Amino acid sequence: MDADEQLNSFRAQVRGWLEFHSPTGWRERSDSPAAFVSVQQEWFGKLVEGGYAIPHWPSSWPGGGRSLAEQKVIYEEIARADAPRLLLSFVSTYHAAATIMEWGTQAQQARYLPAILNGETWCQGFSEPGAGSDLANLKTRAERRGDVYVINGQKIWSTMAQYANKCLLLVRSSKEPAKHAGMTFLLCDLRAPGVTIKPIHQIHGDEEFAEVFFDDVEVPITDRLGLEGDGWAVAQSTLASERGLTLLELSARLQGSLWRVAQAIREGGRAEDSGILRDFGKLAAKVRATCALADQYLAWRMSGQEKDGQASLIKLSYSRTLRDFTKLGVRVKAFHGQFHEPITFGGGMETGNWMADFMNSYAWSIAGGSDEIQRNIISEKILGMPRERRTAMSPALPS
Amino acid sequence: MSIERDELHEAARRSFASATGQRDPSWIWQQLFEMGWMGICVPERFGGLGLADDAEAVVHFELGRILGPASVAAHMSSIRALAACEQSELLSQGLHGKRFTTSLMLAAAEEQEGFISGELEAVPEAGSAKYFVVAAGERIVVVPAGLPQLKVSPTQLWDPTRSFSRVTLDRVPLEEGLIIASGSAAYELWDSVNGHIMRALAADSLGGTQAVLEMTVNYLKVREQFGRPLAMFQALKHRCADLHTAFCEAQALFWRDMVVARDKTEVNGLGSAKAAIADVYADVAEEAIQLHGGIGLTQEHSCHLYLKRAFLNATLGGSSDVWNEAYGRHLFASHA
Repeated sequence: MDADEQLNSFRAQVRGWLEFHSPTGWRERSDSPAAFVSVQQEWFGKLVEGGYAIPHWPSSWPGGGRSLAEQKVIYEEIARADAPRLLLSFVSTYHAAATIMEWGTQAQQARYLPAILNGETWCQGFSEPGAGSDLANLKTRAERRGDVYVINGQKIWSTMAQYANKCLLLVRSSKEPAKHAGMTFLLCDLRAPGVTIKPIHQIHGDEEFAEVFFDDVEVPITDRLGLEGDGWAVAQSTLASERGLTLLELSARLQGSLWRVAQAIREGGRAEDSGILRDFGKLAAKVRATCALADQYLAWRMSGQEKDGQASLIKLSYSRTLRDFTKLGVRVKAFHGQFHEPITFGGGMETGNWMADFMNSYAWSIAGGSDEIQRNIISEKILGMPRERRTAMSPALPS
Repeated sequence: MSIERDELHEAARRSFASATGQRDPSWIWQQLFEMGWMGICVPERFGGLGLADDAEAVVHFELGRILGPASVAAHMSSIRALAACEQSELLSQGLHGKRFTTSLMLAAAEEQEGFISGELEAVPEAGSAKYFVVAAGERIVVVPAGLPQLKVSPTQLWDPTRSFSRVTLDRVPLEEGLIIASGSAAYELWDSVNGHIMRALAADSLGGTQAVLEMTVNYLKVREQFGRPLAMFQALKHRCADLHTAFCEAQALFWRDMVVARDKTEVNGLGSAKAAIADVYADVAEEAIQLHGGIGLTQEHSCHLYLKRAFLNATLGGSSDVWNEAYGRHLFASHA
């Protein structure tokens, strides 16, 4: 069997499995955060059992060791089956797993990795009110007292923190003025005394993010990842852990959702509107271009040709295309698109609730490195344009 | 395959390097005949190199970088039609210096009672062509130059790198030409000729986009104002990042959907991809002049040549508006 045939047979296997196991009616059921959590937990459990939850983990794990091409097949088939995206366990299986595998001691790996497969969930505690794009400006402090660090401060934009058990916590552990030095990376139990979590109410009604407050929270030093002061380097592993793979899944879903725009055109009585049909054609070509770019990125990675900054290209491409996609839906629906409809919690980026989808699309142009940060990276790392000079009045732009 | 593609890019770039700024296209023609690249995708048994579509695309891409003649696209698309119809005698002429041309607006003529009539727009270098490949009703006909019923009227375009004519056929007797396909075979052949032209236009657009964007970024790196290179200003960096991202999208779309894809003949998908790519060229060229500032407004600099070519490319083979709407209608119907 050649590589193509093997991949096709793997696809048939995944598709067959999904036919039996893919949840039905989950969109209708997901009318509250609690319902969303139960849909997600159940679906993650099934995927773990089927061996499709952690294809990107090493082959020593059941269901691990899949090639990038096979991972792509799994994404495409899950999207095709219109099964839920794994949102609740996303940070756990990507960010937490990658960081702990790279930096964790044997004891830490044994404690935390199997637990992820049993449903223990993680969130990321990086951003702060004063440290968004300029992450290195973070202020949350860790003070060493005997066998524990005592944490005080606030994190924000932690995805799904309100449902998480654990937090990947980046803190300042030294009073040194150097920005990148003096940071430490901790694995913090969110059930510890002194932790307060408040969901953030987003403009479209979802609560995908939360604020996390730390008030004299104690983290044992055995839950430190890497050495004290290594935090910035450890955090780079976390940030690099998904590098574009998610975007492969998301762009495949976008391509597979074009029928929603066609449906809006029909329902909105715009089937004879040349202007709208023209914009639909233009959008569809843009979606194809974004998908083609995601494919090419994957090819670069698989052949070891990936260069610095290329992940930013597909992040930016996807976020702009998603904005165009959702905005066209809003336009097509005209006045009827302004009637408030309750959202589907965890319904994904394209649900056909167009104003909600449009507002939700900002998640991709702001979170995970805003479009502006991606543009800095592309212009500096790929085009070789110089960084702005660092002065007291205008600090260097991070990238 | 992509390694070979990279090698071909390099070989073509080396070979065309000395042509930059050349207004006389005959130098490039000579080069292409000598390298055998005119028949790069023509099967070996007809004397071609027998390579896959991506090889021809690389040649057009590199020609686009140096603003090479559009007539090459018309010639290469024509001789691929000859190869498809196994016209080995004509093909041999086309591979050895005789020029073929056809309308880059994909215009077709009519055939009535044994006579061909019609007006074909955008026929490149019609004055020096030996043969015209013409769709006439339900036939594809190779019409020799020099017939009294053929009128070639040169048109002056804003793009000085192209020389196009309007070719008028006024009751050309069918027997003067050679019918290379009829009936449904003719429609299939015409679709494939159009496909080659669309691919050539898109490749030309990509090459031009890459060249003019590189030129712009390099200029921003050396031009200093307020005591620092312009390339250090974030407002300009962000615009370049957007243009580069659009270029990367366009080239990924091109190779995947116009060259490698199995179903690359679906006309609406092909047309909309060409439209998307040519639009990126036009956007990048528009910004290139602005980002060059005053020098971009002078004929001394080559920016304007890319701008003029980009805007022309966005109309050849059908304008972007037409293709976007056609593709939208096609998709809408398929989701009905």
